Amino acid sequence: MTTDLLHSDERRSLVREAYQAVDSTGGAVACALYDDEQLGRVPLSARDLALGVANHMAFAELHPGDIVLDIGCGGGIDTILAASAVAPTGRVYALDFLPEMLDRTAAAAAEAGLSDVVQTVEGEMEAIPLPPDSVDVIVSNGVINLSPRKSRVFAECSRVLRPDGRFCVSDITIVEEQLPPEVLVHPAAWAG
Amino acid sequence: MAGALAERDFVAKLEKAGFVDVEVVDRQPRSIDDFTMYPLFTPELIELMRRLIPPEQQSSVATAVVVRARLAPQPGDSEATTS
Repeated sequence: MTTDLLHSDERRSLVREAYQAVDSTGGAVACALYDDEQLGRVPLSARDLALGVANHMAFAELHPGDIVLDIGCGGGIDTILAASAVAPTGRVYALDFLPEMLDRTAAAAAEAGLSDVVQTVEGEMEAIPLPPDSVDVIVSNGVINLSPRKSRVFAECSRVLRPDGRFCVSDITIVEEQLPPEVLVHPAAWAG
Repeated sequence: MAGALAERDFVAKLEKAGFVDVEVVDRQPRSIDDFTMYPLFTPELIELMRRLIPPEQQSSVATAVVVRARLAPQPGDSEATTS
């Protein structure tokens, strides 16, 4: 029997339970991160569930026809922004390990008239259920920090991206020595 | 936040996975007040952070970054396009 020193299952459960419990941010996060033009392209339901940490979509340089993977789509705000940029010929794979989030993203895509562009995909970022070389651009917002196996996540990104494909991701970084151990071991800090 | 990497480690892991031209195109310090917007940060955790993190550090307890990179072309791609 092996011991998982990363406590992967425990961390995954914490993240799952925390995100399942999220109802709404009231749009506070979306209004803090995105500009008015971007917010105008997104249904209210997706704005209310935004939990990202920055606005990488301003740097992603998406074009019509691009095939995009949004890792950890959540309520769908970045998926919708990506879909509106790559439509009508492109596609956005919206990946999340929570069916509840995929349902919310699908509903937001329908409300935005982008159902033909968005395809929800249930799965984990450490084992992305897409074939090799199938994606032009990977985006993600505040999600990779949640994985206990980040090298595996980056390896999966490398596998599904086509050669010369692009990666444009927002995430949180820390200087570990500056955070007290009591904070770093708090269960909510693994999901937040 | 507890699982977040240092910026240099994030970049190093991307490069190890085969990415090139890795650049951090945006950095925004995040304060404890910023984290109160997120329901994932419980009141208990926010209170713990306010109590244990020195006041002079509370305006920048983490940094939100935007990282861009490109997957290295496969060997032979440049020859294929120039021949």
